[in-house]
Amino acid sequence: MTNRHLRDAGIHPLLGYVGLTALFLGLSVYLFQSTEFAPYIYLLFALSLIGNLSEKRRTEFLRICFGDSSMKKIRIGENVMASLPFIAFLLYQQLFAYMAILLALVILLALSQFKTVMAWTLWTPFSKRPFEFTVGFRNTFYLFILAYGLAVVAVFQDNFNMGIFALLIVFITCLFYHSKAENEYYVWAFHLKPRAFLLRKIKTALLYSSLLALPIALLISYFFYPNMGIILLFIVLSWAFLISMIVSKYSEYPNEIYLTPSIFLALCLWFPPFLLIFIPFFFKKSEHRLSRLLK
Amino acid sequence: MISIRNLSKKFGTKEVLHQIQLDFEKGKVYGIVGENGAGKTTFFRCIAGLEDYEGEISSHLTPLKNHLGLLLTEPFFFPKITGKEYLHLLCQARGVQIPNMEDKNIFDLPLNQYAATYSTGMKKKLALTAILLQGNEYFILDEPFNGVDIQSNILITEIIHQLKALNKTVIISSHIFSTLSDTCDEIHVMSQGSLIKSVQKPDFAILETEIKQMTLGKKLDKLGLT
Repeated sequence: MTNRHLRDAGIHPLLGYVGLTALFLGLSVYLFQSTEFAPYIYLLFALSLIGNLSEKRRTEFLRICFGDSSMKKIRIGENVMASLPFIAFLLYQQLFAYMAILLALVILLALSQFKTVMAWTLWTPFSKRPFEFTVGFRNTFYLFILAYGLAVVAVFQDNFNMGIFALLIVFITCLFYHSKAENEYYVWAFHLKPRAFLLRKIKTALLYSSLLALPIALLISYFFYPNMGIILLFIVLSWAFLISMIVSKYSEYPNEIYLTPSIFLALCLWFPPFLLIFIPFFFKKSEHRLSRLLK
Repeated sequence: MISIRNLSKKFGTKEVLHQIQLDFEKGKVYGIVGENGAGKTTFFRCIAGLEDYEGEISSHLTPLKNHLGLLLTEPFFFPKITGKEYLHLLCQARGVQIPNMEDKNIFDLPLNQYAATYSTGMKKKLALTAILLQGNEYFILDEPFNGVDIQSNILITEIIHQLKALNKTVIISSHIFSTLSDTCDEIHVMSQGSLIKSVQKPDFAILETEIKQMTLGKKLDKLGLT
């Protein structure tokens, strides 16, 4: 399946895997350099990713095809395989206890199943203006609890970097709300022209992401007042990347994978001033791309 | 009024719609019938502007898509969006403010539950409610009666009658002939991407008999049921 997705995006699978490995290693190293709580965050991240394999309908399908006993073996195999990159990195960090905990938890996860759609409705402050933040908040609310907790710990430990890391968790989470192209009906339905549509999406994203980041921003601004300039810089950069993500998505719409803008986005991560060229260019491209559906 | 001239549509080399000429007038209800794969949904998607096409589609109100309520056969819902939020989204998309959403819940849907947990019929009713609240002038209802209970069937039929009385243009496709004969002024028969016949209300009974004969033929004999 992954090979097919990569081929559809015009990437040779081998190149894709090398790129993904580099990204995984880069993020892992960055996390472990940033905070002493990295092992906990790492475990949580690994489990939330691997937990997707325990989706109820998927498990039921495997049970129907292979029977109960074989299904359990397959699920354990899948989860252990999926956790190998995390285990390998924990091994490299010589965190043997965390490694064992992760292994035990993924095996336990393999024997559980989750419904992707809960019967109960989680409240969200973004109900009035669906859909990105409404759906996204419900999927990732626990990350905000984690980020707010981390910000409090940052204050108690007088660790400014950890505070910035907490702020980035919020913004990076919001970035992912715009990572997947929505069904075209939800673009077509708007009575707006492409430009107004894009501006509306950007305005909502900036407003709502700022609302989520506000408690952390206020907290670290108060306790690390001399670093106010750095905090503002990170917020402005996060806004810029959020806008970039939105224009990237619609510049290739309705394609789900947007290779060219992703490469440019990676360049912007390396040298953020590129964003000044990137955003207007891909905004124009998005306008053109949306003009088929928004007249 | 919606005017369609020389509408053709190809997917690769395969032509799925061929030189369609049709007018849909105000205050009338039109039915489109045809076997699966006849091109009905593609035809609707072309009118909505969701597909590129050859030919011309024009309407009095422009752009047509901004005045069109489109009910898809299988409406798509985000996994964690409630019925109420879905209605908000679709109304905001058209710049419509509905102060008391609950009062408009004519199908008694559990609006505070995730729409993805709804049954097929409930999903259809939610999508229909949304396009009705948008205040559209034109409606395309692709299989509006599919999976819907008898009570809602009656309600949808009455809604279509009311839309007609309000001088709106309604186009419906359905595999249940009685739902079309109850609501339509005219039925167009589609086959392999072409319109092969248009029938006025007085001749609906003849059309039904013809469709039955065409569909059944000697197919049942082939089964050799004993």
